[in-house]
Amino acid sequence: MSAPTVNPLLPAEAPPRAARPQRRFTAQRATPYLMLAPAVVILVALLGWPALQVLGISFRRLDLGELIRGEIVWVGFDNYREVLSDPEFWIIGLRTVLFTGACVVATIGLGLGIAVLMRHLDAPVRVALQIALVLAWATPIIATTTVFQWIFDQQYGILNKTLVALGFDGFAGYSWFTSGVSTLSVIGLLILWQAVPFIAFTLYAGLLGASKDLYEAASIDGATPLQAFRAVSWPALRPLLTMVTFLSVLWDFKVFTQIWALKQGGPDGESTTLPVLLYLKGISGSHFGVASAVAVLMLLILVGVTWRYMRLLVRSQETEL
Amino acid sequence: MKTRSQRMALSATGIFVALLFFFPTYWMLTTALKKPGDILSTEYDLIPFSATLDNFTTAITKPGFTTFLTNSLIVTLGAVACALVAGLLAAVPLARMRFSGRRGFVLLVLVAQLAPLEALFVPMYLIMRDANLLDTLPSLLLVYMAFTLPFTIWTLRGFVKGIPIELEEAAMVDGCGRWGVFRRVTLPLLGPGLVATSVFGFVTAWNEFLYALVFMRDQSKQTLPVWLSSFRTAFGTDWGGIMAASVIYALPALVFFMLVQRKLVAGTTAGAVKG
Repeated sequence: MSAPTVNPLLPAEAPPRAARPQRRFTAQRATPYLMLAPAVVILVALLGWPALQVLGISFRRLDLGELIRGEIVWVGFDNYREVLSDPEFWIIGLRTVLFTGACVVATIGLGLGIAVLMRHLDAPVRVALQIALVLAWATPIIATTTVFQWIFDQQYGILNKTLVALGFDGFAGYSWFTSGVSTLSVIGLLILWQAVPFIAFTLYAGLLGASKDLYEAASIDGATPLQAFRAVSWPALRPLLTMVTFLSVLWDFKVFTQIWALKQGGPDGESTTLPVLLYLKGISGSHFGVASAVAVLMLLILVGVTWRYMRLLVRSQETEL
Repeated sequence: MKTRSQRMALSATGIFVALLFFFPTYWMLTTALKKPGDILSTEYDLIPFSATLDNFTTAITKPGFTTFLTNSLIVTLGAVACALVAGLLAAVPLARMRFSGRRGFVLLVLVAQLAPLEALFVPMYLIMRDANLLDTLPSLLLVYMAFTLPFTIWTLRGFVKGIPIELEEAAMVDGCGRWGVFRRVTLPLLGPGLVATSVFGFVTAWNEFLYALVFMRDQSKQTLPVWLSSFRTAFGTDWGGIMAASVIYALPALVFFMLVQRKLVAGTTAGAVKG
């Protein structure tokens, strides 16, 4: 698993050449900008502009009526006031944060456990495990979601059948989707199943990065396995753990597909999270202004949670530029 | 040193975890292969005894299936191709040339890659509506291209940097121009990088659900994931049919993914920082 490497001793650009005629010089200076132009146009038009728009629209009243008439009605912070004074928003916001937290802790914990397990497994078992993980990772989200719906099916699902076969007769015809907590647990499992492989592989790569010599030295010095883990594995894992935690927070917070495809935020809105609320307000309800306010609040929460790591990441890339 | 029983316990745990992760894929495949009559049974049927392709026939002959498949293929492949061209054009100067504004642009790409683009569907919807692009494939193609572009630029930049600059200099000494160097040296060496990057783009776009749901209000313009998610309208409780359709939908992603899985892990962790 070799990362694309960069030799720090080499200059980043071609060595300076002898002076050239002026005309040629300007043409050469324009080259990088011309080559960047398509990417810049795409990023500005399709990401930058919508990002500005979402902020702008969040200060406007924009329902179906205004949209059809093409009116622009500024309402200041009214949308934010409406969203923030709705107790439902706070319940959903809290639920989203808790759900994200639970998913992140579980994925990182399991991923770390499997990574350590992989390091200690004999080759055939390890390869089998890796194949199973890659399959889980690569299966498209909606395909996995439909399989989970089938596994958790009330009447013919294999899970209930297995539980009954094991002697838990109460699970015959048991419905897993009657409460929000139970529905979100199934969704959490679904997310876990798809997210753990990436984390496990990343951390496993980190563990392999710690050199065998260090482990040998530790064992010669009489270190217990736990001490060896703390002194050798942990320093190699720490930066990776920070990164995958950060990425997991980012990914799990904005989960929409699984929740929507499974029960559309039901039963009775009990598995609705902020991204689902955003969809309900924006597309189902056509309250584009209010929905944009929800989107901005979501972005603020995310930035708030990940701010420290973002700064760290940006700074580390700057030194490398 | 590990004792025999410790190794056995480790192996047993490993096999158990592998089975756990393997099970949904197994269950998808075996259900798809079961006789339609055997699926809704109360028998405990963990291991199937008979196999048939009937469910696949059912799935493929559902009204609209080929349209949805074609829609998905067009937006995905189109987006990947466009992102690859724009991304490669941007990656070369970012990795090899010195010009003012370079740092700023790299940071822009980094931020764009991390930004939760799912939060932007309201303005995107309005923009596409104004441009009369709702219910058309180009709307999704454009959005998927923008989604995959930051990652494409970021990874390709790494791959370009990884090519020893001496090779390019040698070609220049031998009389190649900038374009000649690119075509004869850089591009061939970038092959694996281009494959890995485009597979990632393919998987992202092939998976995408939210924007397809928002943009394609007209049922005949749906993509495969949106159609599959509403299977109850198409299949009822025909779990064999829906599993067969899921297998067909999952297959390209699985095949491509298997090809480049190792590179993806390396690529995504290349930017890790100490924290």
